[in-house]
Amino acid sequence: MTTDAAADVAEDYRQALEDLTVNSRIEIATLTNIARENAIHGLAIADVLTNHIKKVPPTRTLPALYVLDSIVKNAPTPYALYFGPKLYSIFMGAYTKVDTPTRRKMDEMLKTWKEPVAGALGNKPVFPPEVVKPIENALIAAKNVALQVNQSSFQGQQYMLRGARPPAPPHRDTPTPPQSPYHQPQAPPHQGISIERLRDDIQQLIVAERAEFARDPLDVGKQTRLKALLDLQTLIQRPDVPQEQLMLVKEKITELSVNMRSSVATAAAGVVPVAAPPHHYNPVPYTATPTPPVIPGAVVPPPPQVPGVGRPASAMAVPGPGAAPGAGGALSLDSLFGQGALAALLAGATRKSATPTPSQTSTPQPPIATPMIPPPAVPPVAAGIPVPAPSAAGSLAALNPALAAVLRSQTPTMAPTATASSITNNPSALLAMLRQSGLLSGAAGTSTTPVSVVPTPVAPAAAWTYTLKQYRGPHLINRLHEDLGPPCTQCGRRFGIDEEGRRKKTAHMDWHFRVHQRVTDAERRGQHRSWWVEQSDWANSSEAIDIDHSHRSDAATHPSGGHGGGVPGQDTLNYDDDVDDDDYDPEANFNSSYNNADSLYPGGGAAAGGGDHSGGGHGHASSGKATANRKGGKRGGGGLNYIPVPEDSAKVNNMCPICQEKFEMKWLDEAQEWVWMDATKVGGRVYHASCHKEVNGSGAVGGDGGGGSNGMMGMSMGMGMSGGGENGFGGGRKRKAEDDAYSGAKGRIKLEY
Amino acid sequence: MSIPGLGQIAPQAPTSTQRTINLRPFGEWRFSIPHQHSTFSSNSSAAGVTVRLVAGTAERDGTELTPHKDYTFLPGTKSKLFTDQGCTLEINNTGGYPLEDRVVEYPHPEQSPMVSYINLHFGLEDYERAAAAHHAQHPLPHQQQGRQGGGGPRPKPGPRVLVCGPHCVGKTSLVKYLGALATRMGSQPLVANLNPTDGLLSLPGTLSAAVFGTLMDVEEPAGGFGVSSTPISGPSQTVKNPLAFYFGREKAGEDVETWKQMTERLAVLCKRKLERNRDVRVAGFLVDTAPVDAGDKEGQELLAWGVRQFDVNYVVVIGSEKLKTELGQRFASEKTSFGEPVTVLGFDKSDGAVQIDKGWRQKSTETAIKEYFFGGIKARLSPFTQSASFDELVVFKAPDDPYEGAPVLERVEITPEMAHWTLAVMIASVTDSPQAIRFSSVLGFIVIADVDVERRRVKFLSPVSGRLGNHPLIWGRWPEPYLNLLA
Repeated sequence: MTTDAAADVAEDYRQALEDLTVNSRIEIATLTNIARENAIHGLAIADVLTNHIKKVPPTRTLPALYVLDSIVKNAPTPYALYFGPKLYSIFMGAYTKVDTPTRRKMDEMLKTWKEPVAGALGNKPVFPPEVVKPIENALIAAKNVALQVNQSSFQGQQYMLRGARPPAPPHRDTPTPPQSPYHQPQAPPHQGISIERLRDDIQQLIVAERAEFARDPLDVGKQTRLKALLDLQTLIQRPDVPQEQLMLVKEKITELSVNMRSSVATAAAGVVPVAAPPHHYNPVPYTATPTPPVIPGAVVPPPPQVPGVGRPASAMAVPGPGAAPGAGGALSLDSLFGQGALAALLAGATRKSATPTPSQTSTPQPPIATPMIPPPAVPPVAAGIPVPAPSAAGSLAALNPALAAVLRSQTPTMAPTATASSITNNPSALLAMLRQSGLLSGAAGTSTTPVSVVPTPVAPAAAWTYTLKQYRGPHLINRLHEDLGPPCTQCGRRFGIDEEGRRKKTAHMDWHFRVHQRVTDAERRGQHRSWWVEQSDWANSSEAIDIDHSHRSDAATHPSGGHGGGVPGQDTLNYDDDVDDDDYDPEANFNSSYNNADSLYPGGGAAAGGGDHSGGGHGHASSGKATANRKGGKRGGGGLNYIPVPEDSAKVNNMCPICQEKFEMKWLDEAQEWVWMDATKVGGRVYHASCHKEVNGSGAVGGDGGGGSNGMMGMSMGMGMSGGGENGFGGGRKRKAEDDAYSGAKGRIKLEY
Repeated sequence: MSIPGLGQIAPQAPTSTQRTINLRPFGEWRFSIPHQHSTFSSNSSAAGVTVRLVAGTAERDGTELTPHKDYTFLPGTKSKLFTDQGCTLEINNTGGYPLEDRVVEYPHPEQSPMVSYINLHFGLEDYERAAAAHHAQHPLPHQQQGRQGGGGPRPKPGPRVLVCGPHCVGKTSLVKYLGALATRMGSQPLVANLNPTDGLLSLPGTLSAAVFGTLMDVEEPAGGFGVSSTPISGPSQTVKNPLAFYFGREKAGEDVETWKQMTERLAVLCKRKLERNRDVRVAGFLVDTAPVDAGDKEGQELLAWGVRQFDVNYVVVIGSEKLKTELGQRFASEKTSFGEPVTVLGFDKSDGAVQIDKGWRQKSTETAIKEYFFGGIKARLSPFTQSASFDELVVFKAPDDPYEGAPVLERVEITPEMAHWTLAVMIASVTDSPQAIRFSSVLGFIVIADVDVERRRVKFLSPVSGRLGNHPLIWGRWPEPYLNLLA
């Protein structure tokens, strides 16, 4: 076909088209004449024009389309044939990239195609119905989507249909969904498989299947089939599908569609496939404005691939006011265009990617118009951000998962497992799925190829937003269960089986054990709700550390005073050892992984312990912000000086040997037990901490972050809230033993409570 | 399951109704146990409906049940157990509670809205992981340097998700679900609530936030969001540390200005936490919101405010395509402060989302107040009854009908009308400015038990012993008084 002459003509014609920038009737007429005179090279010209329409910027699309319109009207003989099979992709491709006024023009133009050329003798339409119909269907489908969007009262139906139709496609109100018959008569004169054809066929199948499904939503078989079809549709969009597979798919589709059509008893009878329009219309001068814009429902174009893409309703980030269903006209145009076309527009507006797309197919056939796909050269900005722009990238991606592929190739994000995208990526996965669903009786023999086992590929984060409603198989669910490891028998939390997991689990079980131990104890002593932490403490604290395997419960339950606010150390009473262990063992683990010096242990662990080694243990009232950077085993934080009332007081002196005053016994909330305040136990004898310190003068100064050998760095940063209740929202300063005020303004506990 | 001292429960003879149900994958066991009309007792509600997971996996709002362990669901619970792998449950209603339940199964997983929720989780998780990877590549300067310097590019945090939708579509459940799944995977999302009608880890009337690192308590009525998971003095397994601001009204619309400022304040602190805490930074935010309908301009205005304040980059709309459309338009051109677009995602509501009527809500509020002071079956708490003179307590009150230029707070005398009201104890000083007091966080709550005007003394219930010192109190209009708390 492509002789030298044809090539020359095509080249000339291409250049002529390049010059066509405005809607000039003269130029269009000239181009029409050239085309008519070179009808012998019609195919080349048609190809040139087709490509031109796809490539020109939106502003110049309309004139190009007018050329097409003019040509088919004035020289239908070869050209209607040439353009017919590709009309869908040409039209929809253009439709998606142009702006609203242009669309209205296109709608008008589309209308004229259904009618005989004005003044013509015959009454054959410009294009046969089977060519125009899919376009109209697509537009109607879009409108239905918008309708559905607006009808939340559709709940019931949505519920029924929710699952099997991932893309939440319109429920077709068209009486006879799959009516458009095959384009058999217009088989393209090309080698290989026409992707467009295939796609159209699949689309029809989907429509039919969907109708079937709507009739019987509970039929799993139909669901699966429908889903497989949708996936298939997605796949076909991909450029790199091997021919053999296409062949395979095509055979199957053909077979299926035959069955389908017979079973669905469509009204196809009325729409007899027409081979070509009859010859010799009287040429009609081209008019730029064909017919008034009475567009019934034909507004938006989610091209047929849309439903298949797994686009959840959510992808429609932009839909316009969308309100009035059937508001028709411009309003519904706007609203409907949100479906994708507008998104494309926006995309074009926001970044300059509206340039028509490069070819998407690898077949000899001219590429499908997929202008929805931004050229691979999408600015890295878009590709780099794994988030879909709600209006642009998101919708784009939603409309065409091939974009996902594009994005994917650019973003090495490690990412989600999208079977859908895996399918787009992996034709054989699709085939497996088809096989599974019974669409293909594949060589594998069994129909149970577990699709789910397909290793989850890397997909851009953006991808997931439009496959939200797709069930992606049990492997994903396993990630929520088995993959996390076996659950804790106490609380169900799961821990991995690797080294790290085991370590955590051990700590976790220890923690459970200790909690259990202490719960009864705590109940016996009585417990209460704690005050909540102050805002800056809260903001600076780090729960992170103490999930369960840390000592979270203790730490967090004492957001303020700190658990025990300074439980005396090991040289006081044995009683405390448990507590100490509670507080510290786990934390020793965490310090290694969290060297966040700022991490706040809300009270609790950090504050507990006091300066135990010193014997003085002069802690301070801590508001719980012990900024401790402890090493394992070292005790941190500061605390009050008190000891629990010895269980057998008879064995212990109940009077300070130094000042000869009795110890004041008091219920300490933080410790949750009766304590002797301001007491410390040194070598079997109990002293007032303050007395002892005065005498010995060497008490550790907990608050100074020393504690001598403690090697800890405790810092009290309270809130300067005098009289701040039990929990000591103390001043934001370091305190020494002298002002071991138990809380802000309380003064020395020894003196007064 | 009988615990001594439960005299007041169930005068009717306990009928042991044990049965076993099997759920297919993506099946749900939906149940509702009405509130008990009971007088207070610190150990009341020790019994409920017991459920044991015999086989498979099951979860409540994303938190898994442990196999072979009895879980007791208490009166006042409307929830569901969901299984994504199939399970066998043993249900035991020895207490004879008027349990309403049913099993819902779907022939195909995709018919369950849970599929999309799970996908959402994984989507967010991937985003999270990307954020984590980002952090790994660009390690934050050390905390302290970060504070001082602040130079360098801002690290992009994990996803910030705001969930919205009309009434009773399962917003909070979804937040809970996402939070639980994230927690399960080991991350620690920060969950915030901007709906003062309910409380998140707090009493109703507050706006609050907390980091969810520990598991959620599946047994409590609120399923882990209840006040029972706030710190107590003893050990507790599901404790979280809330930060709460006291709004004191039922709906944001009643005092928009205050709500906005409060939300802003909360967001500022959440963001600070986000900056300083790696785990939160990676896990991001989950924000729960008040119901908003399509067409509700004011409500959407508040949503938009929340979105901006919390730097939300995913707005999840449940149950209203129209609202989704409207919000989609609204946020189409918005960018977060990290330069990300705001993505609006639409979800179907689960047909299991239950209507919560006013009576139920009131009961739940009362349960929460009771729980705050007295604890539940997990931990019995002993609040302290205190007596103070009028002069010792400083009570503020927000003007009933905020008008332009009205003071944010005005000092009020203690009056008998305050009896049975729950007052918020603020972390501020009485000498602070009303503004500072209003927007300080909540230390806790007290309930006024009795006001003796003649002796000018007031008796109140406080969770913690000891004086309130000079913490100011705020008397709000929500939660409403709970008459029977001390009856």
